[in-house]
Amino acid sequence: MDTLHYLSLGFGVALQPENLMFALMGCFIGTLIGALPGLGPANGVAILIPLAFTLGLKPETALIMLTAVYAGAMYGGRISSILLNIPGDEPAMMTCLDGYPMARKGKAAEALAISAIASFMGSLIATVGLILLAPLLARFALTFGPAEYFALFVLAFATLGGITGKNPMKTLMAAAIGLIIATVGIDLSTGTQRYTFNVLELYEGVDFIIAIVGLFAVSELLFFIEEKAGKGREMIKINPLKLNWRDITSIFPTTVRGGVLGFIAGVLPGAGASLGSFITYTLEKKILGKKGYFGEGDPRGVAAPEAGNNGASSGALVPMLTLGVPGSGTTAVLLAMLVSLNITPGPLMFTQNADLVWGVIAALLVGNFMLLLLNIPLVGVFVKILSVPPMYLLPIVTMVAFVGIYSISHSTFDLYFMIAFGVAGYILRKLEIPLVPVILGLLLGPEMEKNLRHAMQISDGDWSILWSSGLSIGLWLVAIIGLLMPVIVGPILRKRMQAAKAKIGD
Amino acid sequence: MSKLNDRVFGLVMLVIAVAYFYGATQFPVPFGGSEAVGPETFPKILGVVLAICSLYMIVKPDSDNHWPALRTFAELGIAVVVLVLYALLLEPLGFILATMLAVGTLCWRMGAKPLKAYLTGLISGAVVFVLFTYGLELPLPLGLLELN
Repeated sequence: MDTLHYLSLGFGVALQPENLMFALMGCFIGTLIGALPGLGPANGVAILIPLAFTLGLKPETALIMLTAVYAGAMYGGRISSILLNIPGDEPAMMTCLDGYPMARKGKAAEALAISAIASFMGSLIATVGLILLAPLLARFALTFGPAEYFALFVLAFATLGGITGKNPMKTLMAAAIGLIIATVGIDLSTGTQRYTFNVLELYEGVDFIIAIVGLFAVSELLFFIEEKAGKGREMIKINPLKLNWRDITSIFPTTVRGGVLGFIAGVLPGAGASLGSFITYTLEKKILGKKGYFGEGDPRGVAAPEAGNNGASSGALVPMLTLGVPGSGTTAVLLAMLVSLNITPGPLMFTQNADLVWGVIAALLVGNFMLLLLNIPLVGVFVKILSVPPMYLLPIVTMVAFVGIYSISHSTFDLYFMIAFGVAGYILRKLEIPLVPVILGLLLGPEMEKNLRHAMQISDGDWSILWSSGLSIGLWLVAIIGLLMPVIVGPILRKRMQAAKAKIGD
Repeated sequence: MSKLNDRVFGLVMLVIAVAYFYGATQFPVPFGGSEAVGPETFPKILGVVLAICSLYMIVKPDSDNHWPALRTFAELGIAVVVLVLYALLLEPLGFILATMLAVGTLCWRMGAKPLKAYLTGLISGAVVFVLFTYGLELPLPLGLLELN
């Protein structure tokens, strides 16, 4: 009953006119960002954080807007998959498989509408899952002590590369780099200066918002320049929509299955949206077998991965909100927003900032309806944006990133820092060292150290406290499994996903 | 396939890891005597982790990704220089002019026609300026365009 009470409290927050407006804005911008090829949700949210910050929005409003952007970007990803055969981000990849063939058969409008409905169903199911699961997990997480938290952070890093990650050592290295950058600045509990080299700007440490925007936005620009993707690709024209009730009911079971599976993939560490959409697609293909015509434009082949990836993206909010441990790049960026608003994420948030958490959850539900309403009639507008060539778009996006960072502190030093992070991000990506663990390291570093200290204070310097309870041993075990899985199961899964990717190339 | 990239990077990171670890040993002892976990403990652990990862990269490197040709590299260099100049000139020139130059040059180098490129820069700069200064009340520097 408690949940219902809190949920109604959340709706009270989400339905305030100001919050509704920002949610709508977020949905719109998010869909645009998702639709643009090359700009995924993580980049989009990263660029908007400084803006949300400088606008002086209330925490719940800022978070509502950014989660709306996040949800919108997952919706938008399908537009370029279907019309251009270019996934906007990785989870949208599977949508290309049947979406593009459908569009080529002159059913682009149907494919877009079906994918919007499937996205809606996926998010809806996952949000209900979030409402049911999150309070339970938060209550459970209250039993965690500092040692358990330390183990949990290690687990987060170990599983971040995902089962499909290529080289776990590189994930670990990226995490170490992030954590190392996080130690720069004055040590909070002793006042010791660490690695500041007497540079005044470094006393407060490296601002992770600057790092995030640099790593994501600026390195993206450099990548685009390298790939010479100057001109847009030819797009398929959209036909008038002809969709009847039977078409919608026929994809209904698929979207339910997709949403549930996607949610599970989103909650579990190391799975994430890419795997979510992959699993739902392959499962759907298995279930329907010869009854479907997957790969040739089956509507269910569009619905399954869309329900899956939207389910996963809402599911990924569960560990972020309840434990303060994000499982994906975008949720890491959302966490950065929370931390910079001085809100400590984790189980206590559910009691201390109940209006915020439940406001965001309610806003997810509201936003979902907004997205469905926006996406079916307004699809034409989003399609127009797709035809803006990247050679104009990316410089403008970079400029927006500059403005955002500049307006936080009006300091050009921050801008140089951001550029440096951009160049570093480019090099790291070239070496296939993932960026998300770097960011997570930057974010979680201080918390991780604090928990280590608390644990050692409790045990009076005995290191074995870190693995003395059953729970912490369990967390360490999962972490080790998370590091080993990519080596054992990874190659098989990667090969399958590669095969799917190769099909898109045809 | 050459595997030099990972090796070189591993070596660089190894040097950083050693320097970082050494740096941690040099912290002054905090007031009130040392504790089990002082300011240097966590950095020391990280230094060791980074060193292990670097060694792994040196011993078992992945194959190189292909690096862009020299000309593309020059373009990347130009882009970075443009960004640095943008940051440098933002205040003296003002937001609109600096944006016109920076966005214009980037568009142009990415393949747009010069006139169209700089026009894009000018319009986007002006729109964002108006939006920020009047819409959001976050004034941006006007620089040379400032009257009086």
